[in-house]
Amino acid sequence: MYQKMAQVINRLGMHARPAAMFVSHASKFSSEVWIEKNGLKVNGKSIMGVMMLAAEKGSQLIISAEGEDEQRAVESLVDLVHDGFGDLKDL
Amino acid sequence: MPQLTVEKLYKERKDFFDLTLLNSEKGLKKKLVNAEIHRPGLALTGFFERFPNRRTQVLGQTEITYVSQWSPETLRERTEKLFSQNIPLMIISKGITPPIEFLAIADKYETAVFSSRLSTSELTTRLAAYLDIIFAPSITRHGTLVDVYGVGLLYTGKSGIGKSEVALDLIERGHRLVADDVIRITRKSADLVVGTGSELLGHHMEIRGIGIIDVEKLFGIRGIRIQKRIEVEVHLSHWSEDQEYERLGAEDRYTTILGVPIPLVDIPISPGKNITVISEVIAMNHMLKVYGENTAAEFSKRLAERIHRQSMTREYLESDYE
Repeated sequence: MYQKMAQVINRLGMHARPAAMFVSHASKFSSEVWIEKNGLKVNGKSIMGVMMLAAEKGSQLIISAEGEDEQRAVESLVDLVHDGFGDLKDL
Repeated sequence: MPQLTVEKLYKERKDFFDLTLLNSEKGLKKKLVNAEIHRPGLALTGFFERFPNRRTQVLGQTEITYVSQWSPETLRERTEKLFSQNIPLMIISKGITPPIEFLAIADKYETAVFSSRLSTSELTTRLAAYLDIIFAPSITRHGTLVDVYGVGLLYTGKSGIGKSEVALDLIERGHRLVADDVIRITRKSADLVVGTGSELLGHHMEIRGIGIIDVEKLFGIRGIRIQKRIEVEVHLSHWSEDQEYERLGAEDRYTTILGVPIPLVDIPISPGKNITVISEVIAMNHMLKVYGENTAAEFSKRLAERIHRQSMTREYLESDYE
């Protein structure tokens, strides 16, 4: 199991579009992926779970993975969060 | 670990417990950390060994009558000792008011004292019920919970295996969705776990290829329910040559959720397999077992009887051979 913290930088938080981007990115890896906020841990490959976190700007997320490509999965998902989900208008 | 401030208990359940705050609001910020209730009768006599100071303390008429008979010195000394234990709150039943000095000392230790007009037994019953719910152990699990013929089936398995699609098919056939994706599970008693969805997600679910759908809007109120006891876990996985699947079903397999044993059924998914019908059979089979009927066990008994009878016949015929 590999895990890392990430902070949401988008002004609007992790709304529907970033959440969708997160899960489709997570689904590319074979590892199981989880994302946790304030003690609530959900499956990182399911959009409903990720949206349920309702992660606002500045919130701390713990992204973890377990499987063959766990390290690559976590690192690239943390990068995605830190890049503001590639949405430059929303920073 | 859930926590409850005295303020929250007072504000939310003031009428339910019929509470009046007898001293200042200083004690409202204290926190309750467990569901238990204690009647500190022995503590009033000065015995404090193994005193459960983290519990909600309830005093009744007997205790207050006892307290009222104390001399001013005893009252001060014993009350100081009681409230210096850092108890979260004190509730006195039957609307009785304790001596002023008692309240002042409680205030000094920033402990709220309430009076409730309920009888002691009614008050403790209501308190226990309320606190049990708040402090019940709970977890969140990834899965889908559906009520099939009144049996709570919890589908688990990897993301994308088709849990939501199975649920959709079941709803279409008249069964009810409790929650999809994130299931909040609470242990209500030693052998009872109940699952519910989250407020935000409601009865929405994601179907790959379509997106997010609202089951309540699409199928109406008959397609949903708010909470359901979890009775069987159905684990979906891709069909694998290497894995052994249950063939007879005479022995139950179990998983544990919050320490409660739950029957577990492993269903391999492969093209052409109708998981919906299998689900209905799982639910009905569970009901049969609840009503004392175990099909697999009955069948193997029948088979054993037949074999026995045949060997008897053979013995008879063989001995008849001249």
